[in-house]
Amino acid sequence: MEAITITLNGREVSGYPGMTILELARESGVEIPTLCHDPHLAPIGACRICLVEDERSGKLAASCVTPLEPGMVINTESPKVVERRKAIIKLILASHPDSCMVCDKGNQCELRKIASDMGVGLVGFQKIPQLATIEEVNPFIERDLSKCILCAKCIRADHDLVVQGAIDYIDRGFASKPATLNDMPLENSECTFCGTCVAICPTGALMEKKRAYSGTSPVKVSTICPFCGCGCSINLEVKDNQIVRARPGAESAVNRGTLCVKGSYGYDFVHSAERLTSPLAKVNGDFEAIPWEQALALVASELGRLRRTYGPGSLAVLGSSKCTNEENYLLQRFARSVLGTNNIDNGSRLYSAASIIGLGAAVGFPGTTNHLDALEQSEVIMVIGANLTSSAPIVGYAVKRAVRSRGAKLILVDPQRTELASFSHLWLRPRVGTDMALINGMARVIVTESLLDEEFVAGKTDNFEALSKVLEEYTPDYVEGITSVTSEEVSRAARLFAEANVASIVYGTGITQHITGTDSVMALANLAMLTGDIGLRGGIFALQKDCNGQGACDMGALPNLLPGYQCVEDAQSINKFADRWGTDLPSDAGLSAIEMIEHVREGKVKGMYIVGENPALSFPNSTVVKEALASLDFLVVQDMFLTDTAKLANVVLPAASFAEKEGTFTNFEGRVQRVRKAIEPFGDSLPDSEIVLRLANSMGYPMPYSSLQQVMDEIRELVPLYQGIGYRDSETKDIYRAELDKDPLSKRRLFKGQFPSGFGRFHPVQYESPGETPSNGYNFTLLTGSILHHSGTGSKSSRSPRLSEFSPEAYVEIGESDANQVGINQGDKVKVISPLGEVIAAARFTDTLPEGVIFMPNSFPSTPVNQLFDIVLDPQAKTPALKTCAVKLERT
Amino acid sequence: MDKHQETAEPDLKRIEEIVSRYRDQKWPLISLLQEVQEELGYIPPEAIRPIARGTGLFPAQVQGVISFYEQFHTTPRGKNIVKVCRGTACHVRGGRTILKIVKQNLGVEEGGTTPDMNFTLETVPCLGTCFLAPSMMVNKDYFGKLAPPKLKSILQQYGSPGE
Ligand code: SF4
Ligand code: SF4
Ligand code: SF4
Ligand code: FES
Ligand code: FES
Repeated sequence: MEAITITLNGREVSGYPGMTILELARESGVEIPTLCHDPHLAPIGACRICLVEDERSGKLAASCVTPLEPGMVINTESPKVVERRKAIIKLILASHPDSCMVCDKGNQCELRKIASDMGVGLVGFQKIPQLATIEEVNPFIERDLSKCILCAKCIRADHDLVVQGAIDYIDRGFASKPATLNDMPLENSECTFCGTCVAICPTGALMEKKRAYSGTSPVKVSTICPFCGCGCSINLEVKDNQIVRARPGAESAVNRGTLCVKGSYGYDFVHSAERLTSPLAKVNGDFEAIPWEQALALVASELGRLRRTYGPGSLAVLGSSKCTNEENYLLQRFARSVLGTNNIDNGSRLYSAASIIGLGAAVGFPGTTNHLDALEQSEVIMVIGANLTSSAPIVGYAVKRAVRSRGAKLILVDPQRTELASFSHLWLRPRVGTDMALINGMARVIVTESLLDEEFVAGKTDNFEALSKVLEEYTPDYVEGITSVTSEEVSRAARLFAEANVASIVYGTGITQHITGTDSVMALANLAMLTGDIGLRGGIFALQKDCNGQGACDMGALPNLLPGYQCVEDAQSINKFADRWGTDLPSDAGLSAIEMIEHVREGKVKGMYIVGENPALSFPNSTVVKEALASLDFLVVQDMFLTDTAKLANVVLPAASFAEKEGTFTNFEGRVQRVRKAIEPFGDSLPDSEIVLRLANSMGYPMPYSSLQQVMDEIRELVPLYQGIGYRDSETKDIYRAELDKDPLSKRRLFKGQFPSGFGRFHPVQYESPGETPSNGYNFTLLTGSILHHSGTGSKSSRSPRLSEFSPEAYVEIGESDANQVGINQGDKVKVISPLGEVIAAARFTDTLPEGVIFMPNSFPSTPVNQLFDIVLDPQAKTPALKTCAVKLERT
Repeated sequence: MDKHQETAEPDLKRIEEIVSRYRDQKWPLISLLQEVQEELGYIPPEAIRPIARGTGLFPAQVQGVISFYEQFHTTPRGKNIVKVCRGTACHVRGGRTILKIVKQNLGVEEGGTTPDMNFTLETVPCLGTCFLAPSMMVNKDYFGKLAPPKLKSILQQYGSPGE
């Protein structure tokens, strides 16, 4: 590409063809004010504030939409420019309200900033009548459109970035303003309260709702959202040790200027009055606050006693898919080298172990095989077993953008009509739990119609013969019989997928939380490998529910795998770690999360150390799980809150929140990103890493790290996936260099189409009936899942004042005809009963579910849906089936 | 209003039918809206979602377009459209009184429609017939040099003014 050279304020600078004057100016450090421009949006040149003069012709041009031309002589501050800019600002201010003076947007208001830079006062023009503030009851966003300057940024963000379509201009002339359908308050519109428009609005027209004027804060800390596994960058604004605002991190390749409602508004759980402020010990059934030394001594002596009396195998540790990489690394080392057991697992066992095993076996590494960006550039995207809108909003935006702006075709496989259905080219509605038959059916069509990428299959994979043999049975008619998806649709989906140049697959807990989860993941991998869409182009995108589900596994918080998925039973691997840590290590695989509970019930496990997980709610059959935990000789729980699990503990250790500590999270793509401390830990709480280190000390086996930096250095040394990250930066005194997320991705990817072991392996897998079908009077199929406003078991989100105000309690979604059959009206309290238990929630009518299927969210501590489930494990992943079970309904 | 409720059901079917005819066109929105308005006399709010679905646009976008063009109406309009001029020439010759009496006769305010759906009353900035001021229009017919006594009989030519 030929560079273009222009003169900018008397200096020669060059850019590339297609670059705008504004882009080149910013790159060259020349400031040009803008109002309607944003790097994430296509420019529209509406406000004209970015005018510059071409001195050759004396013409003024809007720099944000004017491409470079060779020989331009641009002046960004000529008298003509300044005069015109002033006039524009004055005109805008003329219709601006006086409340501007106390506006909470304060010095973040770009309009005010530009005005004061140009020496334009706020008064002095004939005022134009203004629109009134809109009365809104939602707890998130407030609109005062009298401050709107009609830059359309909010509308463009809503349409082009998050693709929600909640707002657009209504009316014309002076009355024109961004409005919802029928000009209703946001809560009565399609708005999801993602906050993207609020962050992008250059004035105080769109604002985060505040109880009181809080002004702006000069302290901004860039960190990572603590909720789902997307790993959005957020900037926390801090004032007096309080987080006052969260905005999308500007430069993230993950969220690109957007967030979801949890990232924008959910951080307020950090300041919840329910936070634990000091260690607690249970004395005669009640908790008493005790000092740290005493708590640690107590834990150390009890764990020590159990280990001496019953052996290391009597202890088990549950690490957390919400804790940092460093913390999980320390914790697994603590379990292995201090306690001497491989009984360590983490919460992602409940939803993503099938991916780790299934993808590990098929493609050679356990996780997503390409960048989010590659997903967006796919021609065909298949979304299966995932309601992206609620479980991975940012991935949902990317898929919607691909469809709307790039013309990608979406194959949606979901019995439920999710938001994506209206974006889909083909929507397949298999019976609940029959996805695998459908996937095999598609694979068979691809093989029999010779739509496969033969070169790829021949050169880069093995075991194809065995696969095609098993697939023979899966004729479209056979598949139709199982799934109820018509044979034509199966064939159409297969052809669409195979004929695309670039195709991708996105899947979530609808695949992994079945007892055949691992097999289904392998079936998906088969499909992707048949067409070669596995990473060189396209890819498989395995979603993660928690902010560090991927990292916790990468760090070896797993019973059979050391950090970096090195097998504990492999002598070479275990010796490497034993040498590095200077101690003997256990070399038998330990217990997975649910097995721990089984061993507690059998009396084999006597003591547990649970960090940041809440099995009393997140595991199936809560009644049994709680009984088991209560029966332990000794239980220590480390958490921010007194969760249902913590209530059963002998000692509770108060943990710091994500905003109060340093470290890294690894998102679902495998991107390692920095978590930074924004405020001091609440009360006497401490970062989990600090607690683990102190505990190791108290037990008499100090772990030799004086900083998290040293922990990351060791991770780099021992975990191949993490090599190349985490250099020290002594200048900024930062623990790690900011560009952490730059490299490790490439290590995970199949960029050059090369599998780590040289070959991808087809795994012939057979469909098995999920065994969760209605019978014996349990005539409804219950589906559970996450919803947009909450996450996990709700320990954090239910304590976010705003999220819980907006979404306070669980509900049962049910189709109207199903409801009539049982005599249930909208809003009635319904008892949902399984053989194992029952929960009560209000009925909500919906037309999104197939007949006989109901839906309940599983993130409300007050409505523990998981207690309806029996403990049935995927034999390979040891993940409990938690997606669907048979229930009956009763009106209460 | 009642009438509108009654007709809501068949309206939606007709709308879906019109929408389906435009499904594969490239920039269908404006002509689609025009056709809906021609068929129904206005574009009911209930039509916005089906139209949005059919054109692959967001409902708020469809509303934006409808509200941008003066030619589109979102409430049902009467069989006859009465337009009273409120331009300067008419104003100085008693246009305000004319408007007031037309209002009294029809029993509706500006923008309103008589309950029997016979008349809709609108005002316009200038009818372009200032030499006949004060003037008004009913459908495509002009009436000039108006005086209050004439109004009742003019309106009666178009049916009963919904007393
Ligand atoms: S509300 Fe804000 S972002 Fe939207 S058009 Fe008005 S000023 Fe621009
Ligand atoms: S908050 Fe999000 S969904 Fe709501 S209007 Fe703004 S951009 Fe659209
Ligand atoms: S919850 Fe997930 S999608 Fe929402 S802001 Fe946080 S990381 Fe992003
Ligand atoms: S910033 Fe360039 S026209 Fe608005
Ligand atoms: S002012 Fe009434 S017709 Fe022109």
